[in-house]
Amino acid sequence: MADQSSPTLQPAMIGIGEYRVGSFPIMTIGLGSCIGLTLYDSQKKTGAMVHIMLPDSGGRTDRSGKYADTAIPLILSELEKLGSGKCSLIAKMAGGACMFEYFGTNLNIGERNTEKVRAILKEQGIKLSAEDVGGKVGRTVTFLPANGGKISIRRADGVTSEL
Amino acid sequence: MKLSAVQADAIQELGNIGAAHAATTLSQMLSSSVSMSVPAIKSIDLAELGNHIGDESAAMVVFELQGEIQHGGYIIFYITRESAIRLTNTMLGMTDTDRELNEMDQSALLEVGNIMVSAFLDATAELLGFIMLPSPPALSIDMAHAAMESLIAQLGEEVDEVLLFSTELICEEHKIDSDIIMLPELSTLKRITELLEAMMNGT
Repeated sequence: MADQSSPTLQPAMIGIGEYRVGSFPIMTIGLGSCIGLTLYDSQKKTGAMVHIMLPDSGGRTDRSGKYADTAIPLILSELEKLGSGKCSLIAKMAGGACMFEYFGTNLNIGERNTEKVRAILKEQGIKLSAEDVGGKVGRTVTFLPANGGKISIRRADGVTSEL
Repeated sequence: MKLSAVQADAIQELGNIGAAHAATTLSQMLSSSVSMSVPAIKSIDLAELGNHIGDESAAMVVFELQGEIQHGGYIIFYITRESAIRLTNTMLGMTDTDRELNEMDQSALLEVGNIMVSAFLDATAELLGFIMLPSPPALSIDMAHAAMESLIAQLGEEVDEVLLFSTELICEEHKIDSDIIMLPELSTLKRITELLEAMMNGT
């Protein structure tokens, strides 16, 4: 692979329920009620991002990346394989929006996703260092492990921000 | 659920009839001709959704399918932001295309979506003898993928794959490009295919 620290490197794309681990840029587009969660090891300058869709797997074992309760243990074990223990990881997350007020009233999945991720991170003793969640706004997220674990967020109106 | 070739044909025909009625209402509202594509049926794995629907800015008027089946899935009037502005400009007699979508645009889009989707569902109900009613509409003007994944999340945790039926409606004169997209829940899809098969077998 080419120079992994190059900021112009084409990011690896992940879809709903998918994850990647590495030091290259990782990107996921159009997060609505879903969550883009990153775990970053600042010493190794490596990390993982997963695109979580729902809070609970309800005991399902396939597509572990799709549910908060299975996705977090999954990426933790993948990072551990690369030598990144829990205590050296910090988390950031984006997403958890409510795109439709009318349908969201009785079933706000974005909010439930956010709360579930926060709860599991706390349970696992992982620090959540930054988040950009909620609202009625879609987010495209790029994770840059080689660049201090920075997350770049773009919204539909073109406004970008960083975590 | 995998559709057989016959089921796919039947649903395509159903989409054809529904979309033709929706196209007629759009044509009346714009006083201009509207053409439509052959309805496309896409079976999409959730992880691949981003390859079909991107993070471009679009207006989506969304209705839950109700009636004989509760929570039957969704039907969506989808229009890119640029086309949405040209659509409301045409309807409201305005010309400025370099502007934000304001409250008046939003009510116009909700109304257009309502009329088109009602026409679509009226036509399919008449054909199937199975009544699907639209819920009150919800509007999102944001990234299309963000809106779509939020709808799919509401379909339930066991959904790993969705079927999207979409028909493109185009008004050449005003450069308006839109789609009617149906995202049926599994039980709705089964019911529709059963009814269509019964019709074709003449039972």
